[in-house]
Amino acid sequence: MASVRISEICAEIGARVYSEGDMARAVERAAVGDLLSFVMGSDADGAAWITVQTHLNVAAVAVLKDIPVIIIASGREPAADLTERCQTEGIALVSAAHPVFDICVKLGRLGISG
Amino acid sequence: MADPIHLEYEVAADDYQAAGAASNSVKETLKMLGVPTAISRRAAIITYEAEMNLVIHGGGGKIVANIDEKSVELMTIDEGPGIPDVEKAVQEGFTTAGDRAREMGFGAGMGLPNIKRNADVFEIFTEVGSGTTLRTVINLP
Repeated sequence: MASVRISEICAEIGARVYSEGDMARAVERAAVGDLLSFVMGSDADGAAWITVQTHLNVAAVAVLKDIPVIIIASGREPAADLTERCQTEGIALVSAAHPVFDICVKLGRLGISG
Repeated sequence: MADPIHLEYEVAADDYQAAGAASNSVKETLKMLGVPTAISRRAAIITYEAEMNLVIHGGGGKIVANIDEKSVELMTIDEGPGIPDVEKAVQEGFTTAGDRAREMGFGAGMGLPNIKRNADVFEIFTEVGSGTTLRTVINLP
Protein backbone atom coordinates (compact mmCIF):
# COMPACT_ATOMS: atom_id res chain seq x y z
CA MET A 1 0.00 0.00 0.00
CA ALA A 2 1.47 3.32 -1.06
CA SER A 3 1.25 6.65 0.65
CA VAL A 4 0.49 9.24 -2.03
CA ARG A 5 0.45 13.00 -1.67
CA ILE A 6 -2.75 14.79 -2.56
CA SER A 7 -0.77 16.93 -5.01
CA GLU A 8 0.37 13.76 -6.84
CA ILE A 9 -3.21 12.52 -7.01
CA CYS A 10 -4.28 15.85 -8.49
CA ALA A 11 -1.56 15.67 -11.13
CA GLU A 12 -2.50 12.08 -12.03
CA ILE A 13 -6.17 12.81 -12.57
CA GLY A 14 -5.69 16.30 -14.04
CA ALA A 15 -7.75 17.83 -11.26
CA ARG A 16 -9.01 21.35 -11.05
CA VAL A 17 -8.40 22.56 -7.51
CA TYR A 18 -11.16 24.49 -5.76
CA SER A 19 -9.75 24.30 -2.25
CA GLU A 20 -6.07 23.65 -1.59
CA GLY A 21 -6.35 22.02 1.82
CA ASP A 22 -3.05 20.34 2.61
CA MET A 23 -1.66 19.24 -0.73
CA ALA A 24 1.45 17.78 0.93
CA ARG A 25 -0.62 15.39 3.02
CA ALA A 26 -0.47 11.77 1.94
CA VAL A 27 -3.33 9.29 1.75
CA GLU A 28 -3.19 5.53 1.50
CA ARG A 29 -6.82 4.73 0.87
CA ALA A 30 -9.77 5.96 -1.15
CA ALA A 31 -13.51 5.57 -0.75
CA VAL A 32 -16.36 6.03 -3.21
CA GLY A 33 -19.91 6.99 -2.38
CA ASP A 34 -22.72 9.36 -3.21
CA LEU A 35 -24.97 8.34 -0.35
CA LEU A 36 -23.81 10.50 2.51
CA SER A 37 -25.03 8.14 5.21
CA PHE A 38 -23.24 5.28 3.51
CA VAL A 39 -19.97 7.19 3.61
CA MET A 40 -20.67 8.23 7.21
CA GLY A 41 -21.20 4.62 8.20
CA SER A 42 -18.21 3.29 6.27
CA ASP A 43 -14.58 3.18 7.33
CA ALA A 44 -13.65 6.08 5.05
CA ASP A 45 -11.82 7.85 7.86
CA GLY A 46 -8.73 9.60 6.54
CA ALA A 47 -9.33 8.38 2.98
CA ALA A 48 -9.64 10.32 -0.27
CA TRP A 49 -13.35 10.50 -1.10
CA ILE A 50 -14.59 10.26 -4.68
CA THR A 51 -18.17 11.38 -5.26
CA VAL A 52 -20.47 13.11 -7.72
CA GLN A 53 -22.26 15.03 -4.98
CA THR A 54 -21.43 18.73 -5.06
CA HIS A 55 -23.45 20.35 -2.29
CA LEU A 56 -22.48 21.77 1.08
CA ASN A 57 -23.29 18.65 3.12
CA VAL A 58 -20.38 16.85 1.47
CA ALA A 59 -18.10 19.06 3.58
CA ALA A 60 -19.94 18.15 6.78
CA VAL A 61 -19.33 14.45 6.15
CA ALA A 62 -15.68 15.09 5.23
CA VAL A 63 -15.14 17.03 8.45
CA LEU A 64 -16.71 14.31 10.59
CA LYS A 65 -14.74 11.55 8.87
CA ASP A 66 -11.43 13.45 8.80
CA ILE A 67 -11.37 13.14 5.03
CA PRO A 68 -8.47 15.26 3.72
CA VAL A 69 -9.46 15.38 0.05
CA ILE A 70 -12.76 15.29 -1.83
CA ILE A 71 -12.56 14.38 -5.51
CA ILE A 72 -15.62 15.31 -7.53
CA ALA A 73 -15.91 13.12 -10.60
CA SER A 74 -17.27 13.58 -14.13
CA GLY A 75 -16.30 17.23 -14.27
CA ARG A 76 -19.08 18.33 -11.96
CA GLU A 77 -18.56 21.68 -10.30
CA PRO A 78 -18.81 22.04 -6.53
CA ALA A 79 -21.35 24.51 -5.18
CA ALA A 80 -19.82 27.81 -4.09
CA ASP A 81 -20.72 27.19 -0.44
CA LEU A 82 -19.07 23.76 -0.56
CA THR A 83 -15.86 25.32 -1.86
CA GLU A 84 -16.00 27.99 0.80
CA ARG A 85 -16.55 25.50 3.61
CA CYS A 86 -13.70 23.27 2.43
CA GLN A 87 -11.39 26.29 2.36
CA THR A 88 -12.42 27.17 5.91
CA GLU A 89 -11.94 23.59 7.12
CA GLY A 90 -8.64 23.08 5.32
CA ILE A 91 -10.00 20.22 3.20
CA ALA A 92 -8.74 19.81 -0.36
CA LEU A 93 -11.62 19.96 -2.87
CA VAL A 94 -10.88 19.07 -6.45
CA SER A 95 -12.82 18.16 -9.56
CA ALA A 96 -11.72 15.88 -12.37
CA ALA A 97 -13.25 15.37 -15.81
CA HIS A 98 -12.97 11.56 -15.58
CA PRO A 99 -15.86 9.42 -14.38
CA VAL A 100 -15.64 7.72 -10.98
CA PHE A 101 -14.36 4.40 -12.32
CA ASP A 102 -11.51 5.98 -14.28
CA ILE A 103 -10.43 7.97 -11.25
CA CYS A 104 -10.40 4.78 -9.17
CA VAL A 105 -8.25 3.03 -11.77
CA LYS A 106 -5.77 5.91 -11.78
CA LEU A 107 -5.60 6.01 -8.00
CA GLY A 108 -5.17 2.25 -7.93
CA ARG A 109 -2.19 2.57 -10.27
CA LEU A 110 -0.64 5.02 -7.83
CA GLY A 111 -0.85 2.28 -5.22
CA ILE A 112 -3.84 3.60 -3.30
CA SER A 113 -6.11 0.87 -1.97
CA GLY A 114 -9.76 0.69 -0.95
CA MET B 1 -14.20 16.40 33.93
CA ALA B 2 -15.63 18.50 36.71
CA ASP B 3 -19.21 19.46 35.95
CA PRO B 4 -21.46 17.75 33.45
CA ILE B 5 -21.73 19.62 30.16
CA HIS B 6 -25.09 20.39 28.64
CA LEU B 7 -25.37 21.48 25.02
CA GLU B 8 -28.45 22.34 22.99
CA TYR B 9 -28.87 22.96 19.29
CA GLU B 10 -31.91 24.07 17.31
CA VAL B 11 -32.28 22.42 13.92
CA ALA B 12 -34.69 23.95 11.40
CA ALA B 13 -36.85 21.92 9.02
CA ASP B 14 -35.50 21.62 5.47
CA ASP B 15 -32.36 23.58 6.38
CA TYR B 16 -29.84 21.41 4.56
CA GLN B 17 -27.29 24.22 4.66
CA ALA B 18 -26.94 24.30 8.44
CA ALA B 19 -26.84 20.53 8.91
CA GLY B 20 -23.52 19.42 10.32
CA ALA B 21 -23.18 22.35 12.70
CA ALA B 22 -24.38 20.46 15.79
CA SER B 23 -22.35 17.34 15.02
CA ASN B 24 -19.25 19.38 14.44
CA SER B 25 -19.74 21.20 17.72
CA VAL B 26 -20.29 17.92 19.63
CA LYS B 27 -17.18 16.44 18.04
CA GLU B 28 -15.08 19.51 18.88
CA THR B 29 -16.36 19.61 22.46
CA LEU B 30 -15.49 15.95 23.03
CA LYS B 31 -12.08 16.46 21.45
CA MET B 32 -11.47 19.39 23.80
CA LEU B 33 -12.42 17.18 26.75
CA GLY B 34 -9.86 14.61 25.69
CA VAL B 35 -12.39 11.93 24.74
CA PRO B 36 -10.78 9.30 22.44
CA THR B 37 -11.22 10.00 18.72
CA ALA B 38 -13.04 6.72 18.07
CA ILE B 39 -15.73 7.76 20.55
CA SER B 40 -16.04 11.37 19.42
CA ARG B 41 -16.49 10.05 15.88
CA ARG B 42 -19.33 7.81 17.00
CA ALA B 43 -20.97 10.76 18.74
CA ALA B 44 -20.49 12.91 15.63
CA ILE B 45 -22.09 10.29 13.38
CA ILE B 46 -25.07 9.93 15.71
CA THR B 47 -25.51 13.69 15.90
CA TYR B 48 -25.16 14.18 12.16
CA GLU B 49 -27.72 11.52 11.31
CA ALA B 50 -30.01 12.97 13.96
CA GLU B 51 -29.63 16.43 12.47
CA MET B 52 -30.53 15.08 9.06
CA ASN B 53 -33.55 13.29 10.49
CA LEU B 54 -34.77 16.58 11.94
CA VAL B 55 -34.14 18.38 8.66
CA ILE B 56 -35.77 15.73 6.46
CA HIS B 57 -38.47 14.14 8.61
CA GLY B 58 -39.02 15.79 11.96
CA GLY B 59 -40.05 19.26 10.87
CA GLY B 60 -37.06 20.60 12.76
CA GLY B 61 -36.39 20.18 16.44
CA LYS B 62 -33.79 20.16 19.11
CA ILE B 63 -30.61 18.21 19.77
CA VAL B 64 -29.45 17.92 23.35
CA ALA B 65 -26.08 16.59 24.47
CA ASN B 66 -25.26 15.75 28.07
CA ILE B 67 -21.67 14.82 28.74
CA ASP B 68 -20.30 13.61 32.05
CA GLU B 69 -17.46 11.39 33.17
CA LYS B 70 -19.28 8.19 32.38
CA SER B 71 -21.16 8.81 29.18
CA VAL B 72 -22.30 10.98 26.32
CA GLU B 73 -26.07 11.21 26.07
CA LEU B 74 -27.46 12.54 22.79
CA MET B 75 -31.15 13.27 22.40
CA THR B 76 -33.20 14.60 19.52
CA ILE B 77 -36.62 15.98 20.21
CA ASP B 78 -39.11 16.94 17.53
CA GLU B 79 -42.79 17.65 17.27
CA GLY B 80 -43.02 16.17 13.80
CA PRO B 81 -45.29 13.48 12.36
CA GLY B 82 -43.98 10.65 14.55
CA ILE B 83 -42.93 7.20 13.37
CA PRO B 84 -45.82 4.78 12.71
CA ASP B 85 -43.65 1.64 12.67
CA VAL B 86 -40.39 1.97 14.61
CA GLU B 87 -39.27 -1.57 13.83
CA LYS B 88 -39.46 -0.80 10.12
CA ALA B 89 -37.80 2.60 10.53
CA VAL B 90 -34.67 1.09 12.04
CA GLN B 91 -34.34 -1.45 9.23
CA GLU B 92 -31.52 -0.67 6.86
CA GLY B 93 -32.85 0.49 3.50
CA PHE B 94 -36.27 1.57 4.70
CA THR B 95 -36.96 5.24 4.03
CA THR B 96 -39.79 7.71 3.67
CA ALA B 97 -37.55 10.53 2.45
CA GLY B 98 -38.66 12.55 -0.54
CA ASP B 99 -36.94 13.18 -3.87
CA ARG B 100 -35.01 16.24 -2.76
CA ALA B 101 -33.35 14.43 0.13
CA ARG B 102 -32.56 11.45 -2.09
CA GLU B 103 -31.01 13.58 -4.82
CA MET B 104 -28.65 15.01 -2.22
CA GLY B 105 -27.53 11.56 -1.16
CA PHE B 106 -29.76 11.25 1.88
CA GLY B 107 -32.80 9.09 2.37
CA ALA B 108 -31.07 5.78 1.77
CA GLY B 109 -32.59 4.28 4.89
CA MET B 110 -29.28 4.30 6.72
CA GLY B 111 -29.74 7.08 9.24
CA LEU B 112 -31.33 5.23 12.16
CA PRO B 113 -29.28 2.05 11.54
CA ASN B 114 -26.12 4.19 11.58
CA ILE B 115 -27.23 5.76 14.85
CA LYS B 116 -28.08 2.39 16.40
CA ARG B 117 -24.75 0.90 15.36
CA ASN B 118 -22.82 3.68 17.06
CA ALA B 119 -24.82 3.85 20.29
CA ASP B 120 -24.60 1.73 23.45
CA VAL B 121 -28.15 2.70 24.36
CA PHE B 122 -30.73 3.40 21.65
CA GLU B 123 -34.31 4.33 22.50
CA ILE B 124 -37.12 5.84 20.46
CA PHE B 125 -40.21 7.36 22.02
CA THR B 126 -42.70 8.30 19.34
CA GLU B 127 -46.34 9.08 18.83
CA VAL B 128 -47.95 9.59 15.47
CA GLY B 129 -49.03 13.22 15.18
CA SER B 130 -47.11 14.37 18.27
CA GLY B 131 -43.44 13.83 17.57
CA THR B 132 -40.42 11.72 18.29
CA THR B 133 -37.71 11.67 20.92
CA LEU B 134 -34.60 9.67 20.21
CA ARG B 135 -32.27 8.96 23.10
CA THR B 136 -28.83 7.48 22.67
CA VAL B 137 -25.99 6.95 25.09
CA ILE B 138 -22.35 6.21 24.41
CA ASN B 139 -20.45 4.88 27.39
CA LEU B 140 -17.05 6.41 28.03
CA PRO B 141 -14.11 4.17 28.89
